[in-house]
Amino acid sequence: MAIFRLHIPVLDEVKRKGLRTALNDKWVDVVTRVTAGLNPADVRGVLRDDPPGRPNPRLTPHAEGFWLHMKPTYYHRLVDGFYPSFRLGWLSTFFGVFEILTGIYLMIYYTPSPVVAYEDMLNLMSNVPFGQLMRDLHRLAAELMVIVVVLHMLRTFITGSYKKPRQFTWATGVILLFVTLVLSFSGYLLPWDQLSLWAVTIGASMVEAIPPEIVGRNVNLLVRGAPEFGANGLLRFYLLHVVALPLAGIVAFGVHYYKVIHHGHSLPPEGEKVGEDTAKRVPMDSRVYFMPEILTRELWYVAGLLAVLFVGAAYLYNAPALEPHANPLITPLHTTAPWYFLWLQGLLKIGDKVIWGLIIPGVATGLLLLLPYLEVGPSRRYGDRRIGLSLAALLVAAMAVLSYMGTPHYAVSTSPDQEAVAELLPQTHPGPLRSAPWDDLAYGSYQAAAWSAAPNATLQDLLQRYEEVLTNVQSAGRADVAGLMVIEDWQTDLKKVTLRVTWTNTADGTAGEFSQSVYLHRDGNYGQGA
Amino acid sequence: MKGQIALGLLALLTLIGVTVAVTLGEQNRMTEFTRAYEARAIEAGATLFEDSCRPCHGPQGQGIEGVAPAINAADLFDGSRLAKVGYGGTLPDYVRGVIAAGRPVPSVGTTYPQRMPTWGAAYGGPLRDDQVDALTAFILNWQDRALGTGAPVPTGPTVGADITVALPDGDVARGKSLSEGVLGCASCHVLTAVGPKWPADAGEPGIGSRAETRFQVSGYSGQATSAEQYLFESVVMTNAYVVEGFQPNLMPQNYAERLSAQDMADLLAYMLSLR
Repeated sequence: MAIFRLHIPVLDEVKRKGLRTALNDKWVDVVTRVTAGLNPADVRGVLRDDPPGRPNPRLTPHAEGFWLHMKPTYYHRLVDGFYPSFRLGWLSTFFGVFEILTGIYLMIYYTPSPVVAYEDMLNLMSNVPFGQLMRDLHRLAAELMVIVVVLHMLRTFITGSYKKPRQFTWATGVILLFVTLVLSFSGYLLPWDQLSLWAVTIGASMVEAIPPEIVGRNVNLLVRGAPEFGANGLLRFYLLHVVALPLAGIVAFGVHYYKVIHHGHSLPPEGEKVGEDTAKRVPMDSRVYFMPEILTRELWYVAGLLAVLFVGAAYLYNAPALEPHANPLITPLHTTAPWYFLWLQGLLKIGDKVIWGLIIPGVATGLLLLLPYLEVGPSRRYGDRRIGLSLAALLVAAMAVLSYMGTPHYAVSTSPDQEAVAELLPQTHPGPLRSAPWDDLAYGSYQAAAWSAAPNATLQDLLQRYEEVLTNVQSAGRADVAGLMVIEDWQTDLKKVTLRVTWTNTADGTAGEFSQSVYLHRDGNYGQGA
Repeated sequence: MKGQIALGLLALLTLIGVTVAVTLGEQNRMTEFTRAYEARAIEAGATLFEDSCRPCHGPQGQGIEGVAPAINAADLFDGSRLAKVGYGGTLPDYVRGVIAAGRPVPSVGTTYPQRMPTWGAAYGGPLRDDQVDALTAFILNWQDRALGTGAPVPTGPTVGADITVALPDGDVARGKSLSEGVLGCASCHVLTAVGPKWPADAGEPGIGSRAETRFQVSGYSGQATSAEQYLFESVVMTNAYVVEGFQPNLMPQNYAERLSAQDMADLLAYMLSLR
């Protein structure tokens, strides 16, 4: 008696029907299973854009399969054009998925500890194939995602799509906007360089201001894991970035997308009568079926976007170069929050931290979340919503102005010596001195005022910029402000460059001095992307 | 729809093309980045030295009598100091170890009043591992000058990178001794095959004969219009044209600042004499 009998059903089929027929039947079977309902002839029909036939076999995968179950079988012709959606919701989803995939690649090489995080970044750039490409892609898509998500919200507001019955869809959208911003922000800290530490410190200092003091102090401890950022803070931001926020985002996205499909994509305001919602009642002649039209388009979009992102990351865009290792003791001049939080930094410059940094942004976020429940005018037509649309335009303008106010160009007290040194030798990016051709930094001592006498064009340019800042930045109480640059031979292939600013205090006639040195190696290569 | 399929396929091909292009350049990119960050470690080490070590070891590591020994000194790099203290490991390990753990016990024969403190965080000091490594890289970079084998400091104006400049008459014998001595050409161009071999060998003519035709071959990417200019260019702009089979970036790129016009003339005369 055999202890084990191998049974391969296809062999029985071959015996019964012959090889050719049996294999063909098997092929049909496999394709139908993989596509959740389409046999090879149906697939060919989809690819050729043949009429579907009745009953339409292309609807089966939507009923049978997991992924397509989420997608509608057809859309209204009015929402199929570029207007009114501009594909912004689709793009947000695409970038979300793209961030997860590139993020996983980066996660493999990263350890969330201040002892090794920075070295892991160096290792990623120097020793991991595609490490830099993946970092650039992750960062590029993150920036684009923030832009796209904000535009998506703006578009939804403008077309009035947040109105009944889609109020809750809007609310989940606001949550997704918040998740996107905090995701991007929490990722900032992970490289653990000076930019990371200080940009995030500015953001996190907000929570410290929550009154009363005992609450602020404890919330701050909760966020940073200690009074200042360190091992615990980095770990907490890492876990937020890779676990908590993605999870929250996926849950919110699930609800958001379910609601979108449940209510149907809202038609353009002019496409239906005031007070009616006809998105779910799509007449037969207005239907655009998912297969093949939408499917083909989405596939081409994915291919096209991937090509654009890869070309962008490989040739046009570089994630910010790594700065020196994070150092809580050295605060760089002109630290700014990430660009999408500059408006908040601008608000903080207006006045009290509690009012402008917490209460006003908090109230604004609450109003945004509750907007569809507060603004209940029935009409989505542009002509009927002049006040709302004007307010939105004003808000956008205000955000732009506030963002400008958040930059160092606005209301930052400073002194010409620090400005001039930071102009050539910034602490948050390589800057002109580090990027200058090493060989052009001829040994010697140069006066900024006598820049035109320097031996080569590089030095002349550097000294001229130095002198310009010294002359342009006014400061009360100082006279005879002069800049000096000294270049010394320090070691084999190593130069020491010292920038020194001297002045006389007009009040008491005493001399003042500020100087900063940097060492530059022949192979430092600050011109490259990283 | 056909248009979309065509565009999609085109995008897919672009994607594959970019990926292939990135893949081909990846090894070079990683090498470049490594070179840059090793250089930046020396820069960071110089700053740390200035802040933490200078007070006792002097601004250029030359030591301060009665306070701390010299580090920028020949005996550290030629092995005699390691032999004297009975250290059996490598010099980088010795330097790193001393910085990180300090010197709780004085070396035999020294009477410095203070012990070297511990600097590494692992031993209770203030510096992270990467900072200790950066300091080590900076200290080891003194080797050339400490041993006196570094590039000779030019006394007059240097020749520069303009290959059309008129040179004085060259001296073959002096060129030979330069190339075998301080300039260090011989280690790569005579004895091994790291760079193109200069002397005639195994039926191939010497560098002087090869230079006559090299600048006329197709694919030549430099500016030279004569054998002399071709060799001049190869010395001062080492990557202007890399002969097939050899790697770029291997040759030091600082000869334009190390050689005087006379040095260059002598060197070229010697090279051209190798037929």
